[in-house]
Amino acid sequence: MAVCSAYTTQSLNSTCSISTPAKTHLGFHQKEVVFYRRSSKRGGSGSSSGPCVITCSAGDSQTVVIGLAADSGCGKSTFMRRLTSVFGGAAEPPKGGNPDSNTLISDMTTVICLDDYHSLDRTGRKEKGVTALDPRANDFDLMYEQVKAIKSGVAVDKPIYNHVTGLLDPPELIKPPKILVIEGLHPMFDERVRDLLDFSIYLDISNEVKFAWKIQRDMAERGHSLESIKASIEARKPDFDAYIDPQKKYADAVIEVLPTQLIPDDNEGKVLRVRLIMKEGVKHFSPVYLFDEGSTISWIPCGRKLTCSYPGIKFHYGPDTYFGNEVSILEMDGQFDRLDELIYVESHLSNISTKFYGEVTQQMLKHADFPGSNNGTGLFQTIVGLKIRDLYEQITSSKTAAPLEATKA
Amino acid sequence: MTINAMRGGAKYKGTQMRDKQLSEMIEKKVTEAKQVCEADETSDECKVAWDEVEEVSQAKADLRLRLEVEKKDHLESFCLENPETEECRVYDD
Repeated sequence: MAVCSAYTTQSLNSTCSISTPAKTHLGFHQKEVVFYRRSSKRGGSGSSSGPCVITCSAGDSQTVVIGLAADSGCGKSTFMRRLTSVFGGAAEPPKGGNPDSNTLISDMTTVICLDDYHSLDRTGRKEKGVTALDPRANDFDLMYEQVKAIKSGVAVDKPIYNHVTGLLDPPELIKPPKILVIEGLHPMFDERVRDLLDFSIYLDISNEVKFAWKIQRDMAERGHSLESIKASIEARKPDFDAYIDPQKKYADAVIEVLPTQLIPDDNEGKVLRVRLIMKEGVKHFSPVYLFDEGSTISWIPCGRKLTCSYPGIKFHYGPDTYFGNEVSILEMDGQFDRLDELIYVESHLSNISTKFYGEVTQQMLKHADFPGSNNGTGLFQTIVGLKIRDLYEQITSSKTAAPLEATKA
Repeated sequence: MTINAMRGGAKYKGTQMRDKQLSEMIEKKVTEAKQVCEADETSDECKVAWDEVEEVSQAKADLRLRLEVEKKDHLESFCLENPETEECRVYDD
């Protein structure tokens, strides 16, 4: 499908105008846009030269849509930052708009927070007795319509859910990016939305790790205590298990975060065991593997060539089934202490879709201050980011680029 | 790695206001949740109350992260266009 998006004519030379005839003579389902030059003298600064030549390419402007299910807030999570970094540039809130917008925009990507599709604001949810996790608090029809529109190259006015006030603010304009990421609690809940996703990820944090992370997050806050943090997790658990958790069976990749098995009785949640569960047979996605694809491997890289400090690093790789799907699982338990450990591990992984040797390490170092930079969460988030880049490139190059030229009158 | 206090990145009054507002909300909503749940721990009201606590706790953490790690005040571009508003007073302390 050809998409030529022209939002306003102000950005064009004032002597050019756009006309969109109702019928095309090409026989395709695409709008033919004609740019012509007005023969008025208002052209101002002597630009009597040249026609307005606009080139429109068919097929390469369809937006690639990625879904990310996470319970950790929106668009500001570490995963999103790593992902946008792989594509280059930093993701920032839209300039000049609502300062409480949840949206992040970089050159290639736009990250939308699905909380913006709440049908009930904080007061509304309180009245109805539903949590934000409940589907009844969310407008899936609108979510579907807008994601579909953006995917097909049409800009939308998307609502803003303000997390500070708990209200729904006036909408903001979202223009179709090259890559749209929808992040939140329910990216895969609605079947129609699911079908729009080119790739989906579910971040599955185990209860023990969730508790440890929320302690780190909240303990410094006045009002919070271990009890309140625990009570909050427990109270949300029934809705979480009923509405959020079941989405993981639809995900193309699940990043499962568990307590380490390397330290007996560890409950600090600092050393982590992370499993990257990758669905087999997903278009444009070839799972990462260790040494020999499809076999089962246990690997401890620390030894003669590499010295690691306690508790070390342990890898596991192998095929498995997950909710009835064939998957490959790559698992890392432990921490990286030094740069050379990271590069050593990277050099033994296959199908990581890097463009040069050491790219994973470089990306990890670039964000050494992000949480998870020394363990499997950072490693697998980075690798998934590279796989998404690979998927994007495959999708965009697989479309035939048949340039159309609308030239001067 | 030294982490500056919140004011490491906070430049505008509006950000300080939001930070304070969120802190107060957390405290208030935790108290509310405890009260509501005392009556009936399994009620809808109880789980909604703790969900609100989660929402504001996360919002506070996001703000803190943006300021401490990214050292950016998210009101920056808004305040460039609206310097005269109360929110955009530069707070010095």
